[in-house]
Amino acid sequence: MLVDFGLIERARSGDDSAFSQVVQAYRKRILGTIARLIGRPEDVEDVGQEVFLRLYYSLEQLRTAEVFEPWLYRLTVNAAYDYLRRQRRRRESRMSDLSEQQVMMADAAEGGRQNEEDLRRSKVREKVQALLGKVSDEDRILLTLKEVEGLSLKELEKIYGVNENALKVRLFRARQRVLKAYDAEEK
Amino acid sequence: MDRMHDSLDSLWAEYRDACPDPEASAHFMPMLWQKIEARRLETTSVFRHMAQAWVMAALALTLIIAVLLPRLHREPVYSANTYVEVLDDAHSNDALDLLAAGEVE
Repeated sequence: MLVDFGLIERARSGDDSAFSQVVQAYRKRILGTIARLIGRPEDVEDVGQEVFLRLYYSLEQLRTAEVFEPWLYRLTVNAAYDYLRRQRRRRESRMSDLSEQQVMMADAAEGGRQNEEDLRRSKVREKVQALLGKVSDEDRILLTLKEVEGLSLKELEKIYGVNENALKVRLFRARQRVLKAYDAEEK
Repeated sequence: MDRMHDSLDSLWAEYRDACPDPEASAHFMPMLWQKIEARRLETTSVFRHMAQAWVMAALALTLIIAVLLPRLHREPVYSANTYVEVLDDAHSNDALDLLAAGEVE
């Protein structure tokens, strides 16, 4: 926990300054998770604000301060999922307006402005985003939380509200699907 | 397949490094509070509209009831006659029907 339970209790009872402190303690971590979940740096703050906005209006439903972190992660997952679903719809309509050549030219122009290390990182991000784009949003989020964020099965159990066995099955299937996509991409 | 597994695992690790936790911009908190306030006003406004709609509906219902109720609420018709007299009045032509039937035979 990044804050003590007392602060969460105060925020839960309507203390806005306590809520601000909670946000300040968690925002970097949450923004990082969102950045890795959605893969679009320009929209990270917007989604982050949505997470804390939902937190503000749902904090009174929190049973105890002990379950605060899984609660916050669940809100993060839901906000990321909503964002990805919106993006998917938007991208489908936008990409039909751009020719493939235009997309490649835009990518090349973007690449020219970066130095080598940034370029390597950017390529990794693009590769992972392309890979995750080939699986469902559910798989994408679950795999990112497990493989990239390094959350344990116990933590994921609390976030998803399902038992360990069900989670293992979901993870196994998601891994198989992403592995298949990765294999196809590497060939 | 194991090689693919390992390669994918290292790709996840590289991705983690390539996406460090970003620092929030200076307007993160002010924007957040603006959004919280906007949502609060929106909710209040929704409740206000709902309350107004309920008041209007209640007024309309009261008017409808006030107009319709006197029409629907008519006095029941009571008869001063006995049950046998009422029956007799209702079937006063039955005897004629029977007579008519007898004439045909």
